[in-house]
Amino acid sequence: MSGTSAALTAAREADASAASAVKALQAQGSHAEARERYAELVARHQRRAGRIAYHYLRDAAEADEAVQDAFVKAYSHLPSFREELPFDVWFTRILINGCLDRIKARTRRERWLLPMSSVAAAGVDGVPAERDLSERVASVGPSPEDALLTRERRRRIAEALAKLPQRQRAVFVLSHVEGHTSREVSAMTGLNESTVRVHLFRAIRRLRSLLAPSAPAEPAEVRGKRRVTS
Amino acid sequence: MSLLERLRRGHLGDRQFARLWTNGGGDPHLESCARCQARFEEFNNWVNGIGEELRADADRAFSQERLAAQQAQIARRLEGLERPARVLAFPRAARAVIAGNSHVRRWVTAAAAAGLIAGVGLGQMLDLRRSLDSRQMAPSTVTHLADARGHAGTVLPASRSVNDEDILSDAEAFARPHVAALVPLEDLTPHARDLMDRPR
Repeated sequence: MSGTSAALTAAREADASAASAVKALQAQGSHAEARERYAELVARHQRRAGRIAYHYLRDAAEADEAVQDAFVKAYSHLPSFREELPFDVWFTRILINGCLDRIKARTRRERWLLPMSSVAAAGVDGVPAERDLSERVASVGPSPEDALLTRERRRRIAEALAKLPQRQRAVFVLSHVEGHTSREVSAMTGLNESTVRVHLFRAIRRLRSLLAPSAPAEPAEVRGKRRVTS
Repeated sequence: MSLLERLRRGHLGDRQFARLWTNGGGDPHLESCARCQARFEEFNNWVNGIGEELRADADRAFSQERLAAQQAQIARRLEGLERPARVLAFPRAARAVIAGNSHVRRWVTAAAAAGLIAGVGLGQMLDLRRSLDSRQMAPSTVTHLADARGHAGTVLPASRSVNDEDILSDAEAFARPHVAALVPLEDLTPHARDLMDRPR
């Protein structure tokens, strides 16, 4: 644990120095160098940002765009970045706000459009079509049964996560999936630290009840067949 | 383990486990009960398993190729931020006609409007003046009925009687050229009135 926190501290120091350097280069007008230095920060936080956006938006393409927007916005607002706050916390806040804006826009859009897009995206058995394509490619990985079980387990977890209220989901993802402390999650989401802990507690309890082994979900293929025959 | 049995023995449930997991710290019962320790271990694994599954799911959506493409796209967009937006110029002719002329056209329009307003105003003034003149002339030419009634028995002759012959002769005199050299030419020119008077 101490090794992890030491690594985190070192990573944050590196972030802080990179962010300061980019700010200074921007102020000098050396934009090419500033971009080059900023690319370090992008490379370091890209994957984590992608995960957060994906859990918010549940769509890889939209999450990709949200991450891009957040990095571009962070770069242009870097002069207003205060060094006393870790870069990842500041950046995650920008990302979350962008994701929330996208969710709002999507909700507005879906109010006016027919739900055809969701039907197409969900594929035949409720698994996104995008994934189906990648899964059809032959691989040397786990057996088909294992792959099916893993996929099913992930689908159930994703569904359960999607059923959580937005704040509970955000807190759970940030604190448990991304490993941020309550204080950091509080800074990212603008919630109180105690509220963050309450949301986390409720999220776990709800997930526990949603994913209880007493109500096992049938594999999607079985449900799909039943739906076709009935 | 049933809920009743758990309560009887003071074992911890999911709620307590979730609280312990969220807030940390210890529990006196958990420290002494091997069964609850095992269950808490299982609970811990379950929560951690969810985190791992979610991470794996997201990582699968973002492959290395996708991340590289994303990085390149971000670099392109950042580069684009520093270049000011390009404004596409219109063709020269179009600009000359539209942009160059618009100023002149505005002035011409304003001058035409001002001329129109001045013309209408002047016309109105002239009309007013003419009507005032005619009103001043009217009492001398027209014998009012009221006056005639007021002076019953006495007929007031008009100071000047207006008849068609006088008007026509005035008009003819006005139409005749005032330059002496043009008079013979005028005499040669047939008049419409003469033509009309000639018996058919």
